[in-house]
Amino acid sequence: MGKWFKSGSPWIWMTSGAVSVCLIAVLGLLLLIAWRGLSYFWPADIYQWEMKNQQGERYTLIGEVYDKEEVPTERLIAAGHKFATEVGENVTRYLVKTGNREFVGLDFRWILATDIISRSKPNDIAVIERSKNGDFYGYPVAIIEDGQRLTSQNIEADFESHIDRAVELNDQALDLQKGVIGSINYELENLRLKSRRYELDNALTDTRKAEIEAARVKLNAEYLLVEKEFFALKTAAGRDAVVIRDMRGEEVTLKLDSILDVTYANRLGVMGKIGNWFIGVGKFVSDDPREANTEGGVFPAIFGTVFMVMLMAVIVTPFGVIAAIYLHEYAKKGPVTKMIRIAVINLAGVPSIVYGVFGLGFFVYMFGGTLDQLFYPEALPAPTFGSPGVIWSALTLAILTLPVVIVSTEEGLSRIPSSVRQGSLALGATKAETLWRIIIPMASPAIMTGLILAVARAAGEVAPLMLVGVVKLAPTLPIDMNFPFVHLERKFMHLGFHIYDVGFQSPNVEAARPLVYATSFLLVSVIVALNLTAIGVRNHLREKYRSLEH
Amino acid sequence: MISIDQSVMKTDMLDLENLTEEQTALEIRNLDLKYGDKQALFDVSMKIPKKKVTAFIGPSGCGKSTLLRCINRMNDLVDNCHIGGEIMLHGQNIYDKKVDVAALRRNVGMVFQRPNPFPKSIYENVVYGLRLQGVNNRRDLDDAAERSLRGAAIWDEVKDRLHDNAFGLSGGQQQRLVIARAIAIEPEVLLLDEPTSALDPISTLTIEELITDLKSKYTVVIVTHNMQQAARVSDQTAFMYMGELIEYADTNTIFTTPKKKKTEDYITGRYG
Repeated sequence: MGKWFKSGSPWIWMTSGAVSVCLIAVLGLLLLIAWRGLSYFWPADIYQWEMKNQQGERYTLIGEVYDKEEVPTERLIAAGHKFATEVGENVTRYLVKTGNREFVGLDFRWILATDIISRSKPNDIAVIERSKNGDFYGYPVAIIEDGQRLTSQNIEADFESHIDRAVELNDQALDLQKGVIGSINYELENLRLKSRRYELDNALTDTRKAEIEAARVKLNAEYLLVEKEFFALKTAAGRDAVVIRDMRGEEVTLKLDSILDVTYANRLGVMGKIGNWFIGVGKFVSDDPREANTEGGVFPAIFGTVFMVMLMAVIVTPFGVIAAIYLHEYAKKGPVTKMIRIAVINLAGVPSIVYGVFGLGFFVYMFGGTLDQLFYPEALPAPTFGSPGVIWSALTLAILTLPVVIVSTEEGLSRIPSSVRQGSLALGATKAETLWRIIIPMASPAIMTGLILAVARAAGEVAPLMLVGVVKLAPTLPIDMNFPFVHLERKFMHLGFHIYDVGFQSPNVEAARPLVYATSFLLVSVIVALNLTAIGVRNHLREKYRSLEH
Repeated sequence: MISIDQSVMKTDMLDLENLTEEQTALEIRNLDLKYGDKQALFDVSMKIPKKKVTAFIGPSGCGKSTLLRCINRMNDLVDNCHIGGEIMLHGQNIYDKKVDVAALRRNVGMVFQRPNPFPKSIYENVVYGLRLQGVNNRRDLDDAAERSLRGAAIWDEVKDRLHDNAFGLSGGQQQRLVIARAIAIEPEVLLLDEPTSALDPISTLTIEELITDLKSKYTVVIVTHNMQQAARVSDQTAFMYMGELIEYADTNTIFTTPKKKKTEDYITGRYG
């Protein structure tokens, strides 16, 4: 035993054990969120249960199984549940998603295995994805076209073709709303601001007034035209309806303009399910959220996260690099420089919410408020830059990640051999020329390392953003087709905040839980993708300035 | 034999004490240098002749590299370095406040102990100094690159891979590349700080031959540990000891009939 200790093997076992634990923790985490998140998009089987409740009444349930657990019988008896027959110690309980929210009140419910009489998997059950009120399960009975019940035999084909038509019309209406109507509104608002600006400058002459009024009238006329078109499309989309028999056996009529898609999940083979899975993932990353974020996609959140992080990177890199160059190259070595360096490093330890408070107080209220008074007085009291927005979030996170960039840039600068500096100086270069032409390029891999760390930290930060720019729902992106195209004052959505919002602030926690995993997985993927890009750039630079390995 | 040799040398020998203005490249006058409290050079005075090879020899820490670095003001980079005395170049003290250090260094090139090419292509290394001066004309740069690489006797080895990274070259080639880089900006004086101490014997030989060629165009000042090297390549030699210039004379004189006891002890290998 003593010999074994002396050989050093326990040390090796201990160190490798520590590494293994880390690996298992990381892989386990990734696997869990990936599995839970990605399996959400797998089309589940839809069951029909024949049930009997305690009073002996029979009823039918249609839905998909979300969860399953064992409950002690005693607890159920204590809760007032009576069992007709003898049951074991535990009773199985299923969490069933029944959909049909507006007709049955609860779209999730627990059912006891003892209440189930029979279970079947009928092929004809349709899963109808809707833009309001979540999914609907039922048997399509008939199509109503323009108030007339169709008598065709092939109801499924009819159903699909009518949905396609409605979706197409809805898309056109949406394009109109986001495109033309959006820009007309934007221009009208600009006109209002223009007239207000003239008014503030006491320059609102009658000619100008008339000009603005003329433009306004023209835009309003345009608007009325487009609006008419919009409502025509909407009405056309709402022309048809479908009659569906739901699990209560009643026939309900659903208007087609709120239906997005229909699938017959029980009929799908493996390939079909894989296809549907990809479609589901695609919709999740490309659609706007619906129903208080519990349905639909997360595209604005992905866009907001990436946009904000890139904006932050663009801000933090020059600042950090310049500060590091001053500290390392120009500042006199002495206690003051040392103090500053320690202070910078300690900045990294300040809790992020404190940065959020600082950002709100300094950037949003002071800086943004001043900007508003100087450049946007016409919009007051409504703030332009004086309220949380993506630029303030990027700036706040830039300050938060500044220490990381400074420290790694300084490390990179100190790794450059002095012989190379002297070589450049000896050729008649000034210090600034040497910095520009030799030192900074050679330090660029280290700068990239700092940037990678900064991006990783910033993309995961949520707390400060809640104060300086993130909101629950911001379907208008910070980039659009209205001049000046980039709107840095706008609020934005963020995947990290989205997770919090969907998981803990949503009215329908059961429905949202898989979305939490899916969004988490997406956030991790986005961060990994950002980092891989930066690492790729760094490796390229390292290859280019390989000299340091000498 | 010896007497004949000496007579041949005599015709070539310069009177180092009384060089004319024409013959002098540099004049060092009463140079003192302190690193903080520690004095590294004591009252050094000497005249370095034009288009000759002057060697500084002496034991480690004698101040020969320090003296060399004073000539293009590389010691400015060292904190706490205080310099007294003058170094005259073209009748002007290079430590004068009005002197543009960058311009001085363009005129007094330097090659260091270890090859220090930049992490750029061979071509970009050579034209670096020219680009600094704002030369961007492709033809001018190409001509200068070829001329300097030929001047540093490395053209034939690199002409086919001018745009490869300079770190692909061997140590000896890198050192010649650095010399090419230094002569690309056509300095008057070239300072070589133990240029062969990190190289193998064959590369050393190549560089020594190169040094002999260089003196046709440049004033060369070389610091070396290697007495044989000094004897082989230099026209005059300065022996330094503990920060003082002990003896400065024609190379032959120093190595055959040194006047000072310390010089004799050093070159006969009694210490060092």
